Amino acid sequence: MKAEERRRFLKQSALALGGLALAGTALPGCGTEETKQVAGRLFGPSFKAGHLLRTGIRKVPARTQEVDVVIIGGGVSGLSAARWLQKNSEQRVCLLELEDRTGGNSQSGKNAHSAFPWGAHYLPLPNNSNTQLLRFLEEAKLITGYDAAGLPLYNEYHLCFDPEERLFINGYWQEGLVPNWSVPPADLQQIDRFQALMDEMKQAKGADGRFAFDIPLAHSSSDDQFRQLDQLTMQDWLQKQNLTSTYLSWYVEYCCLDDFGGTLAQTSAWAAIHYFAARRAQAANSDAHRVLTWPQGNHWLAERLREQAGPDLRTGSLVYNLEVADDKIVVDYLDLATDEATRLMAKKCVMATPQFVRERLLAKVPAAPKVNSRIFTYAPWVVANLTLNQVPAGKGIPLSWDNVIYGSSSLGYVNAQHQSVVGFPDKQVITFYYPIPDTSPASRQAVFTRKREDWTELVLQELEKAHPSIREEVEQLDVWVWGHGMIKPTPGFIWGPDREAAAQPIQNKIAFAHSDLSGISIFEEAFYKGIKAAQQILTS
Amino acid sequence: MRINVQVLLLFSVFVVATCGLVYELVAGTLASYLLGDSVTQFSTIIGVYLFSMGIGSYLSRFFNRNLIAWFIQVEVLVAVVGGFSSTLLFLLFDRVASFQMVLYLLVSLTGILVGLEIPLIMRILEDRFEFKELVSKVFTFDYIGALLASVIFPLLLVPHLGLLRTSFFFGLLNAGVALWLCFYFSKEVKWIHFLRISCVASIVALVAGFVLSDRILAFTESLSYADKIIYSVQSPYQKIVLTKNEREFRLFLNGNLQFSSSDEYRYHEALVHPGLNSVKYPKKVLVLGGGDGLAVREILRYPSVEKVVLVDLDQAVTKLFASHEVLKNLNQGALLSKKVQVINTDAFQWLKTSQEQFDFVVIDFPDPANYAIGKLYSNTFYKVLRQAIAPGGAAVIQATSPFVAPNAYWCVVNTLVSCGFTTLPYHAHVPSFGDWGFVLASPDKMLPVNGQFMPQLRFLDQATFEQMRTFPKDMPARQTEVNKLNNQALVRYFEDEWAHYIN
Repeated sequence: MKAEERRRFLKQSALALGGLALAGTALPGCGTEETKQVAGRLFGPSFKAGHLLRTGIRKVPARTQEVDVVIIGGGVSGLSAARWLQKNSEQRVCLLELEDRTGGNSQSGKNAHSAFPWGAHYLPLPNNSNTQLLRFLEEAKLITGYDAAGLPLYNEYHLCFDPEERLFINGYWQEGLVPNWSVPPADLQQIDRFQALMDEMKQAKGADGRFAFDIPLAHSSSDDQFRQLDQLTMQDWLQKQNLTSTYLSWYVEYCCLDDFGGTLAQTSAWAAIHYFAARRAQAANSDAHRVLTWPQGNHWLAERLREQAGPDLRTGSLVYNLEVADDKIVVDYLDLATDEATRLMAKKCVMATPQFVRERLLAKVPAAPKVNSRIFTYAPWVVANLTLNQVPAGKGIPLSWDNVIYGSSSLGYVNAQHQSVVGFPDKQVITFYYPIPDTSPASRQAVFTRKREDWTELVLQELEKAHPSIREEVEQLDVWVWGHGMIKPTPGFIWGPDREAAAQPIQNKIAFAHSDLSGISIFEEAFYKGIKAAQQILTS
Repeated sequence: MRINVQVLLLFSVFVVATCGLVYELVAGTLASYLLGDSVTQFSTIIGVYLFSMGIGSYLSRFFNRNLIAWFIQVEVLVAVVGGFSSTLLFLLFDRVASFQMVLYLLVSLTGILVGLEIPLIMRILEDRFEFKELVSKVFTFDYIGALLASVIFPLLLVPHLGLLRTSFFFGLLNAGVALWLCFYFSKEVKWIHFLRISCVASIVALVAGFVLSDRILAFTESLSYADKIIYSVQSPYQKIVLTKNEREFRLFLNGNLQFSSSDEYRYHEALVHPGLNSVKYPKKVLVLGGGDGLAVREILRYPSVEKVVLVDLDQAVTKLFASHEVLKNLNQGALLSKKVQVINTDAFQWLKTSQEQFDFVVIDFPDPANYAIGKLYSNTFYKVLRQAIAPGGAAVIQATSPFVAPNAYWCVVNTLVSCGFTTLPYHAHVPSFGDWGFVLASPDKMLPVNGQFMPQLRFLDQATFEQMRTFPKDMPARQTEVNKLNNQALVRYFEDEWAHYIN
């Protein structure tokens, strides 16, 4: 080989080697910049119905039917009222629900891999004093028996499997949601002090001998020393107690957002403390803090209620007129599927609707008490369900039921398949929760105008805080926007005059059932309010 | 200020020597890891490497002009070849037919290039030193570099950087020296533009490799195996690896040893026979887990058995054990038997929906090392299991080591008891695993154990089983929590105890 050739050969081989190496290392970095289009759909409560209502309906009902009781609203409180009437009376009950399915905000969906919730997704073990609820849980086979000490045995398939909760904090998934990983000792001390205070509140009783905080909320003590807390915001209360740790504030605010959709500054201290201090469950086969949960969330419970709610449940039925005539209540509704209007003549009525619907429907009822409706405020919610190839692994505790990200404005996500006995699912489905506490008009406007792509981006950006590679795993991402996700217990609301006034039956004919009337949007309250309204109907 | 040219060139000698030896050590270590038999690997690698250096030295005679440019060029090549050698070997292992060919080719190439460098540098320096001083200096730095490499390699590099990063790091040193020389000799050297570009390009590539080495490593876990890998596949659920040495085959799932062919008979005889031998005329037997067919092999020794249902999640495992010659020999073709029905699905889900009852159930799940598997040891699972056992039947459960993880072992026993089972705990010594525990469980009263085991068994007889039922003083029964879906107590015990044992 001549020197010249040799040189060329070496040169070429050097280039080849260098090129090979470069190409090899550059490959993994490629393609991450391009934003992948994520498949999915956007859902929400019936917009068509809302539009119809705003423009007004002037249909004359083509037919008239007689019933004993008409229930307006097929959410948990309406179903609970129907169930109670079905079990305890011979009344002919007709339930009218605007949407295609009953369950209200407790909705669910299903795909090839799992069912998943579109709303609330769990029920904490109820207090043993809440016997009405325990009866229902027995009927639903959630309680399978009682042990020798009389403690309920819960169905193991529905008691939340372990690991229950994890929190992504300081780059690590810690067990439980109370921050402790790499949290400074001074903050940990404050967290301990807060928890000790809450334990005290849990056992505290008022002068009337009742627990200071109880569920149903109506069973709480009327002692002023506790009810005064309703005048404060939770932020003020924490400040008063010298609880200033940012980690603690984050945790308490997370809880307020989780149950009320409100920030510390928006939430009544009484309501916030109720979250921590009202649960005293005891179970034969579980620790006290467990929850009952299902792949479809509380829609599972709503379905059990529906099964007991009687035969006459009319979905897709928009009530557009309500009048009291002589001893009858006249209810006109439009069947959204057939566009036919029907008039119901009922002896009694249960209104199981949120306050803004009630206000509209009662416009023609002169006896309706004046209620300041503006004090009923709502938090919009966004729920997203993601189908993933797999949830990316991270340091610390593996995928749990509830997975929260410290510092995220979301509430994290729930593993929809957590209660499945299958060890290794092909795909994983997670449900992401995002409350919108901002009450500004611009923020409310955005809730209704944002496109699916905007929500998708928001969801992915929040999840990326803990799972930087999550985009690569997403197969489907569906979003549900709840314009009125839940009632917000702002200071003065729970123990103020308007909530009480709104709950008063009208002329012994119309009773009211909705968790709005409790001031906190939890299953137990809706269930209780439904029974309460049914009882008012039956005793009057 | 310009550094003295001699100092710079001698420093290059030092770097070249250090890097050269490091590449050789990396290759030797990798070969030992991947192929086993470290003595052979190290001596052949060292031999080939030194011989290749000889070839390089010989070839140096053909370089007559532009010596500095050639030196820089060779340095860049060493940087690239050496820097990427370990990564290439990692990636190509189990993907090419003859891994040894690739290995020795890379070692030779590195050797030749390094072998070229020392003669070249001596000739570059020949006019600047007296000959005896030159020889003395060059070889002094050469050997100091070698010493440095051999000391820091095991003490610092492997533990802190790992093999891939070590190679990239030294590649960067080589390339760095080359770039430095480029700037130093920019006036005197031909093709300076090309040389600079190639230096920079190789540095970029090496830095990228250094940064991404974790991702590259994730491709292959081959390092966890002591013996030669003869089969390796990633199923949707796990990495299945079969290794071989002169004595035995070993099967690993996700890096955890499942059995060694040298002593698996102890495990499987202990698992199956105490229970199955005690059931009168067993006809239908269920095996959950145990896709290797080794428990089935033992079950098929009973002539009364008409049907064996094997439920194992991973089709890749059951297929492998029904088709691979070596493994088919090991389980005596158990999975191909007409009596055996193989179902690949989740065992809990299957059992929950199955209406069938079985005379005997063998539960050979992986250890409860994670929450997904922990469900298969829960009281809820055992309640479902109870429904699947025919009257007069029983089940046996492999239950991890009662010596290493006593809380985990007794947690399985106590969980079974909490579901109304009568249990007979026993354990056996399986050299590959250590002291291993099993639980025989009857839905009602314990069946009387029949100690008259079939004579063809290699391990189990009546006297041995009497011993197996005895738990010595340091392994007494314990009170533990019951393992439930809502507390996963077993996974927590298991993690604590094995982590403690391994550290």
